Amino acid sequence: MSIKVVIKRNTYFDSVSLMSLSTKANQIEGVEQAIIGMGTEMNKGVIRNVGLMTPEVEEATAGDLMIIVKTTSADQTESAYLAVEELLTNKDKAQAKSDIKYATIDSAAQGIPDANFAVISVNGAFAVREARKALENDLHVMLFSDNVSVEDEVELKTLAHEKGLLMMGPDCGTAIIGNTGLCFANAVRKGNIGIVAASGTGSQEVSVRIHDFGGGITQLIGTGGRDLSKEVGGMMMLDGIKALDADEATKVIVLVSKPPEASVEKKVLAQIKECSKPVVVYFIGGNEEAVVAAGGQFAKTSKEAALKAVLLAGIDEAGINKRALNIPLVEEVRAKLAPEQKYIRGLFCGGTLCDESMYLAMEKLDNIYSNIQKNPDFLLKDINVSQEHTFIDFGDDDFTNGKPHPMIDPSSRIERFLQEAKDPTVGVIVMDFVLGFGSHEDPVGVMLPAIIEAKQLAEKEGRHLEIIGYVLGTDLDTPNIDEQVTKLVNAGVTHASSSTNAGLLAREMVLKGENHE
Amino acid sequence: MIHAKSGDDYFLQQIVATAFTGTVHSVFKHALNIRSDGNDEIFTLATKAMDRAPNTLVIDLDTLDHLYINQQDRVSVRDNQLLIEEKLQIAIHTATRWQCQLPIYPADRTSLKMNMIRVKQFIDLHGKGGGIKRNDLPVSEFEAETSRLLQQRTTLLYEEILNQRLDCFQTYATDLVGLGPGLTPSGDDFLVGLFAIIHLENSPCSMYKPLCESVIKMMQPLTNEISFTTLKKAAHGQVRESICSFIHAILYGTEVESIEALRRVLAIGSSSGTDIALGLISGLEANIVLGG
Amino acid sequence: MSKINELFTSKINVINVGIELFKDDILAQNASATHLEWSPPGGGKPEIIAALNNIDKAELAEKIEAANRLAVEKIVNSQPVLIGFDQAINVVPGMTKKTILHAGPPITWENMNGPMKGAVMGALVFEGLAKDLEEAAEVAASGDITFSPCHEHNAVGSMAGVTSASMFMHIVENKTYGNIAYTNLSEQMAKILRMGANDDSVVERLIWMRDVLGPILRDAMKLNKDGIDLRLMLAQALHMGDECHNRNNAGTSLLIQALTPYILETDYPVEQKRAVFDFVASSDYFSGPTWMACCKCALDAAHGIEYSTVVTTMARNGVEFGVRISGMPGNTWFTGPAQKVIGPMFAGYKPEDSGLDIGDSAITETYGIGGFAMATAPAIVALVGGTVDEAIGYSRKMKEITTTENQNITIPLLNFMGIPTGIDIRKVIQSGILPIINTAIAHKEAGIGMIGAGITNPPMEAFEKALITISEKWA
Repeated sequence: MSIKVVIKRNTYFDSVSLMSLSTKANQIEGVEQAIIGMGTEMNKGVIRNVGLMTPEVEEATAGDLMIIVKTTSADQTESAYLAVEELLTNKDKAQAKSDIKYATIDSAAQGIPDANFAVISVNGAFAVREARKALENDLHVMLFSDNVSVEDEVELKTLAHEKGLLMMGPDCGTAIIGNTGLCFANAVRKGNIGIVAASGTGSQEVSVRIHDFGGGITQLIGTGGRDLSKEVGGMMMLDGIKALDADEATKVIVLVSKPPEASVEKKVLAQIKECSKPVVVYFIGGNEEAVVAAGGQFAKTSKEAALKAVLLAGIDEAGINKRALNIPLVEEVRAKLAPEQKYIRGLFCGGTLCDESMYLAMEKLDNIYSNIQKNPDFLLKDINVSQEHTFIDFGDDDFTNGKPHPMIDPSSRIERFLQEAKDPTVGVIVMDFVLGFGSHEDPVGVMLPAIIEAKQLAEKEGRHLEIIGYVLGTDLDTPNIDEQVTKLVNAGVTHASSSTNAGLLAREMVLKGENHE
Repeated sequence: MIHAKSGDDYFLQQIVATAFTGTVHSVFKHALNIRSDGNDEIFTLATKAMDRAPNTLVIDLDTLDHLYINQQDRVSVRDNQLLIEEKLQIAIHTATRWQCQLPIYPADRTSLKMNMIRVKQFIDLHGKGGGIKRNDLPVSEFEAETSRLLQQRTTLLYEEILNQRLDCFQTYATDLVGLGPGLTPSGDDFLVGLFAIIHLENSPCSMYKPLCESVIKMMQPLTNEISFTTLKKAAHGQVRESICSFIHAILYGTEVESIEALRRVLAIGSSSGTDIALGLISGLEANIVLGG
Repeated sequence: MSKINELFTSKINVINVGIELFKDDILAQNASATHLEWSPPGGGKPEIIAALNNIDKAELAEKIEAANRLAVEKIVNSQPVLIGFDQAINVVPGMTKKTILHAGPPITWENMNGPMKGAVMGALVFEGLAKDLEEAAEVAASGDITFSPCHEHNAVGSMAGVTSASMFMHIVENKTYGNIAYTNLSEQMAKILRMGANDDSVVERLIWMRDVLGPILRDAMKLNKDGIDLRLMLAQALHMGDECHNRNNAGTSLLIQALTPYILETDYPVEQKRAVFDFVASSDYFSGPTWMACCKCALDAAHGIEYSTVVTTMARNGVEFGVRISGMPGNTWFTGPAQKVIGPMFAGYKPEDSGLDIGDSAITETYGIGGFAMATAPAIVALVGGTVDEAIGYSRKMKEITTTENQNITIPLLNFMGIPTGIDIRKVIQSGILPIINTAIAHKEAGIGMIGAGITNPPMEAFEKALITISEKWA
């Protein structure tokens, strides 16, 4: 062990520089420990405690800058100190650079040595090139853009895999990395549950439920919707599971996706088997047996997935408000609906939220149509005209082509809502409102005038129009969930406490007599 | 010629009333400190990027880089202008006067209690570690030890206030001064927050007010002059604007307003903002417990 | 630990490309994010993006990188030295009595613009190939005269660049690589041949330059055995506030200071020497051509390196803007329409009087001075219609499209950053940032001369053509 101490009299650096210098100095090769700080009595006390006190340090005063470099071998000390000194002299250069504007990923990556991540949301025609540039510069990538070919996706993910980098997307809308929400994400507690998700709103929902149940998130890795297709082969999900398995802070892993293609499902299940941590699998409408056989925990709904995860994560079950379905309310609504008010109309911004409600309805109801139905017989003939039970995902390409996502621009959904509200065969309209980073600043507020108008019209015509609203968000989001829910409830909307409950409430309210839950 | 945008009342008085002279003490990108010849007090010139603060004049500049101002440059006042050698001339008369006005601690604490929960969560998620807030992975043994001592001593001080004992307050507070990373050590920052709360009118822990004012004298040799000046002002109930606004928001505002104001506090320095915020929280929690 | 796990435990620092809102959200969470001033590469044209992707393939990309490193190494290491002056016919390769060299890529007499035609006519009268301007036009159109770009004769020419057999040339030798570059002498003033003016006063001045100035300079340099190290002098001039394209005050002082002792030692009469000094003192532009030859000399050394995408020539003939790249050896020009020059005009002239961008002087920007070193010349930012902050911005911005910094020639205001060197056509197209060029404005009609100064850009088309060609040839 060897120590070099330099005291700089009356030298002041601002705190931001001092902290970043200190961090960088500790990363210099050969440095076991580096301290850059003011020479106060208390700091000297700490130095004494960690056994680095020297006569020079003793003499430092509160206005002096202390630089202490400790290396394992004596011959490294001088060069390590010079490297620290270099950091100090280059501070100005680094700071001046913060005002510089960059035009390309190459120049930005070169100019910002600390950059470790790229978020890319340019038009799909240009996105692949930018993503490749980012990966070549050793940046992890979140590719928000869609309209990227599957061949390009495979090429990017292969490159990322080879380099050991994240390649989230294309069409990846949600991620939380190191407690920073990216693109569409909610502010949730830090915790010990990691998520890998092929579905944006699905993962938002699971993260928000985990938060609501008192749990927290380590990382939320998005894969993009096509990751579990045969062609892509689940490359990002497999790497994601491995990374979370190796992550010390993560105790439980949750997977969220539509059911994978068969060959990919096999690979994912094999990975689960290998994984040292409990894995909760929420494959919307997926197969329970295979998951259980692989040693995974199967969840049928997003809420169940979150609940299983928090229990595995060690949250005390007794303290969790599981938010049971309000059965008396269901009875009450059933009584109010006229016999011809048979149908549900689901108007969703979130694809997975739409999927979940639809799958729950399909368990007990027939003739369910949608713009995202897998069964071609039940695809809407005209996406602008509802048929019997209809569930619409406004975030699908049919609606977004050339327009912003409904989570940002809700106008097309408002129009459609007013149209559905006039239909005398409609009993229940169910809608989601997504809060968080990237979303509309007041999704409930912007819908309220239409809701009030619809309620008044129904009342005038002597029918009860049941509107169920689900707000996806947390108390930490801006605006926060309570504010948004209060607005809904004051307008006479039934508040559902989760995506799962929204689907269940809608289904149960239109069921007549038999099949009660 | 550069115009002053706003200035701390006391600083403006000093400039106008006395024949103010001094030397440049230290220069940063957005702030420049001057030591007054008269009483060795530190005054600050800050760029537009900074908020208003005690002993500070905010001037109409984006950066102090490229002015080639050095330590020991002479500062003087002539014809209502503050001059730094030939390098910078600042017109004073354009400055609006500002003085820190701390809010009154409310009788109704409902908003405070609600806001506290979110504010604490926000700091937990987004606050900067390395000072009072522990980093999950400290970069060095030194950082780990610093965090441990900060944790231990802030807790001691908090408990002392809860027990309403006067004898150890000064010792525990002094033990924090000069402790931690950054130009303004974390312990100092924490005390700035705590002192501000102690100085709220009707504050349940206002019994410590006279102690702040007396203990400050013991603190001078323990930290650098820049940090000491901030601490001394706080010991007399004077803190920068963003801190003042945050206290107001958390006492009387909505959650959204509290978080907005908190963001501006967290933006101070590196970990300083977080350390100050935690000092404020510590004081407010003591107030809630003591005041019922 | 894998890079992904490293990311989990470090602070996220994001480069955001596309929707700016995402950056704001990241900043609001106290993480770091930088938003790119991004525009679609190649203006979003699919064939351009395809070409970029083609040359980005690993194997080729590596060859290009290596070739570009070599190209900029040659530019940076080149040491151009002024070794003498002589008449074009004696030194310039391929020069004949009936050859007229001109600026920019090749062009025929019919297609030349007003200023260039004016200069050609003046030169023919000066050379005695025509008795007056009227006859000069006929001679020019007769087919007897060979027109050829300066650049194809190791030379450069300011503005119209018109260079004839008996004009005196700078001779600049590259001490590192041995190649030589030429350019003619500054005529000073505004109403001059190179700006398209051609009346008696212009021709008389040319005759004096041939008979007095030229010989004195030639004989003075014969006495200077070591030559004058132009790179060193250029670096000094930049530190003294020149950018050495539109501002040459310092450079001219340095150059004449170096020449003076030898001029004094020549055997010419004192009044002739005095006339030379008066002539030099009449305009700060005197050293302008000298720096052009200096730049040309360094860039020629870097021309013809296989697989290099570094630009070695930017030149305009008043109709077309031409670019040559190192990896396409010889005289392969990629062209696009010459652009307007935007900037302040002399009193009495309006923007519609301006001729289009003309001259070989963009060789200075190709080397990394002129518009690229705008931050060295705060005094003339008004001349090019900008502020000091903008000037600093230009130099930084040019770093986006260049390969390296030339540490031999630095910009004090930018912490002694080396001048941005080695324009890479790939970077120009990827970033959408065009090289910035400081230049003078000539009147669009023949016979009038300089009417202003300003800044301009090359047409993107020239770079796109180059890219398409190399992607077809190399990929």
